[in-house]
Amino acid sequence: MRRNIRVPAMLGALLAFVLLPSILPCAVTHAQGSAERTLTLGVYTTPREAYGNGIIPAFQKFWKAQHGQEVRFEQSYMGSGAQARAIVGGFEADIAALSLEPDVQKIAEAGLIKRDWKTGPHGGMVSRSIVVIGVRPGNPKGIKDWDDLCRGDVEVLTPNVRTSGGAMWNVAAIVGAVLRGHTGAAKGDTAAAVALLGKVLARVTVMDKGARESMLTFERGIGDAIITYENEVMTAKLAGQPYDYVIPKSTILIENPAAVVDTYAEKHGSVDVADAFVKFLVTPEAQRAFAAQGYRPVDETVAAEVAAKFPKVTDLFTTVDLGGWSTIGKKVFNEGGIYDRALNASQGTK
Amino acid sequence: MGPGARLAVILYIVVLVLIPLAAVVERGLAGGVGGIWRAIATPIAAKALILTLWTAALMAVINAVMGTATAWVLVRHPFPGSRFLATIVDLPFAIPTLVAGIMLVTLFGPQTPLGAWFGNHGMRIVFANPGIVLALLFITMPLVVRAVEPVLMELDPAEEEAAFTLGAGTWTTFFRVVLPAILPAVASGTIQCFARAVAEFGSVVVVSGNIPGRTLTAPVYIFGEVEGDHPAIAAAVSIVLLLIAILLLFSTRWLQGFVRKEHA
Amino acid sequence: MTGTRKAGRWGRGTVILFAAVVLYLAVLLLLPIAALVAQAVRTGLGSLFGQLFTGDALLALEMSLILAVIAAVVNGIFGIAAGIVFVRHRFLGRRVLDALSDMPLSVSPVMVGLAFLLIFGRGGWFTPILDMLHFKITFAFPGLVLATLFVTLPFTLREVSYVLQELGEEEEEAAAILGASPWQIFFRVTLPNVKNALAYGVTLTIARALGEFGAVLIIGGAISGKTQTGTTFINVAMEERRDAAAYGMALVLAVASVLLLLVLEALKKVEIRPDEQ
Repeated sequence: MRRNIRVPAMLGALLAFVLLPSILPCAVTHAQGSAERTLTLGVYTTPREAYGNGIIPAFQKFWKAQHGQEVRFEQSYMGSGAQARAIVGGFEADIAALSLEPDVQKIAEAGLIKRDWKTGPHGGMVSRSIVVIGVRPGNPKGIKDWDDLCRGDVEVLTPNVRTSGGAMWNVAAIVGAVLRGHTGAAKGDTAAAVALLGKVLARVTVMDKGARESMLTFERGIGDAIITYENEVMTAKLAGQPYDYVIPKSTILIENPAAVVDTYAEKHGSVDVADAFVKFLVTPEAQRAFAAQGYRPVDETVAAEVAAKFPKVTDLFTTVDLGGWSTIGKKVFNEGGIYDRALNASQGTK
Repeated sequence: MGPGARLAVILYIVVLVLIPLAAVVERGLAGGVGGIWRAIATPIAAKALILTLWTAALMAVINAVMGTATAWVLVRHPFPGSRFLATIVDLPFAIPTLVAGIMLVTLFGPQTPLGAWFGNHGMRIVFANPGIVLALLFITMPLVVRAVEPVLMELDPAEEEAAFTLGAGTWTTFFRVVLPAILPAVASGTIQCFARAVAEFGSVVVVSGNIPGRTLTAPVYIFGEVEGDHPAIAAAVSIVLLLIAILLLFSTRWLQGFVRKEHA
Repeated sequence: MTGTRKAGRWGRGTVILFAAVVLYLAVLLLLPIAALVAQAVRTGLGSLFGQLFTGDALLALEMSLILAVIAAVVNGIFGIAAGIVFVRHRFLGRRVLDALSDMPLSVSPVMVGLAFLLIFGRGGWFTPILDMLHFKITFAFPGLVLATLFVTLPFTLREVSYVLQELGEEEEEAAAILGASPWQIFFRVTLPNVKNALAYGVTLTIARALGEFGAVLIIGGAISGKTQTGTTFINVAMEERRDAAAYGMALVLAVASVLLLLVLEALKKVEIRPDEQ
């Protein structure tokens, strides 16, 4: 005898009821008129709050005042390398705001950025930061510089260089500090760089996909020290997390680029809005929004305003000091480079 | 059903399953078999594969034992509340794997009471290998139970009764009478859960910590290579997982043939 | 249900076994769910639901629901059709196709994402055609649909196949002898027979679709407002320290899963395996 399926049907109806409210926004969003522009952003992981809470609302107001149109934003936040890969692979972002220049170059080399994106007032860069070491409140393990991260009693967090721009900045900072002779080794001693980096990598407990994921792991109680952007620690403190951070004697100046992805912007008919947005990023208003989240501004006026917030660095070097990104790519990140050798070295010690 | 339906079905499977898998195989084989070897012989990839296999194997053994025990208790010793337990057993099938991973971190993370207790005793669960095994156990728990339960239910208790009257204890009865009968089902369920575990991503990526060479599993490694724009390497390692999956698939079907034959 | 043994013997061994099993299930299954609920409550149920009813979260949930419904319908129809084709017909390559349709159960979701990227992404096999048609699959809704269809393919098929096999063709043959047309046979004989297996398979399909994460993440990119699903939303929300939103969504998906589970259990009680008489 076939019993009826009344009970399962009832439960199924209950299920539909639970999930039904999700239908509501469908009606709302799809009823938007044509006085609406859409901008799709492909961003790295850390500036979510800077964009979400500050810059995007400010730009929406700005554009509405100027042109009377609403701008709707679609945003994706991913590790910088992963984001670049996605954009090249078909993610139709109108704007790429990534962690480091080579990631934007990847997009340009794929033919998707046709204009020279570095002609902006700051060479295409929209925000700055430095690589620091985040520690628990009060710095209980007494971490002061890069070599403290090699200690057996210290657990370190840093993301995966394959996907995260932050991870690449971290490695560049350490390697640069060694090669510039600030860790006790002779200047230019590559073997010492491999050794130190290897020891640090051996102390890494979790390797997340991106800088933000790394920070969150730190907040879950893992690790004594996290190598990360200064802006990430500051954003975390703003969100109520109790951190301190240590600035090593020698660290790298981080510069984050943003560019319009011409091919997609043209396809979507949003070149004008996209151009305006990228230009907006270096206006004092946007720069203040960045600074509020812990980014060092590229705009000199705003930088002067907030100088008190950002400690000085003894030896602050840039990628140019290391020979530029192409040299760094060859020497450090390519197959068989310093990072690969250090990673292999770190396998033996654990 | 006419030939039109047959064609539609064939086309659907070819387009949705065969072609995508073929694309992975094609890209993975782009460097020939040597290319695959090179891709998996790197320290990180090799360790990832080994980690995936041993955690899945360990978990499968635990699951085989506990799953059979659970099926036995549910079928042979119903008690008030066993219906509830039987329902709970199917839960991992319904819960998203990502949520499962989050649940485990919420329960065993280093800042939780349980996690801290383990930490004080020198054991780390989350962001370490035990966490991986735990996550895999959760995800695949129902598979052995569901494979064994129907077979147990069909077992003629007369044989067990006979063994009892001849003086055999519970355990002897189990090992001499019941186990041989349910062994194909246990094996089939265990293989299924091993296969499922090898492929697992959502819960492991949350729980394991993903450290290359230490807690990075093969699926998470593949994910990293895809995100890092190395589809060829990702495809090469995928082929290995695919071969394992095919092997396991055929073993399961062969065993299920046994299960069905015995209940013809 | 069974109760084939005379009030199961509760010897000492049995009690230990029983305790072990109950403890095992409690620790492995109940405790994690309790932890999730506790954490959600700790985060504050008010803020939970407040966060949940924002546009972002609702859009993500809507996406998951739509994908689940599409999977249920498409793979439900496929399940019936393929079930009949595989069980009732013999043709060249049948076993291979049958095995292929079981593959999605053991293929890793990341491989699914990779596969579709290889076909439809940059330099993919079918990308030139797609470009000509101005049709986007990767990082767009169609990609999510394909990924979901792939991972949910086998469920309905397996349930329906099993029932068809057990039932045998007698009823259909009898109807044919009595002069029924193929469609009449299908709607009046076959379909009612597999109704419960279909429902069971569809329920599993929906559960799997709601839970899909890896493939959907790779193919869709978790673009807020465009390719965000319930699971990728949780991922993103955790990254934005929007714990309330993350736990809220996790709770919704968990509750939905439990409801689906209850539907499954209720269906199990109804005959879907007719030989269990």
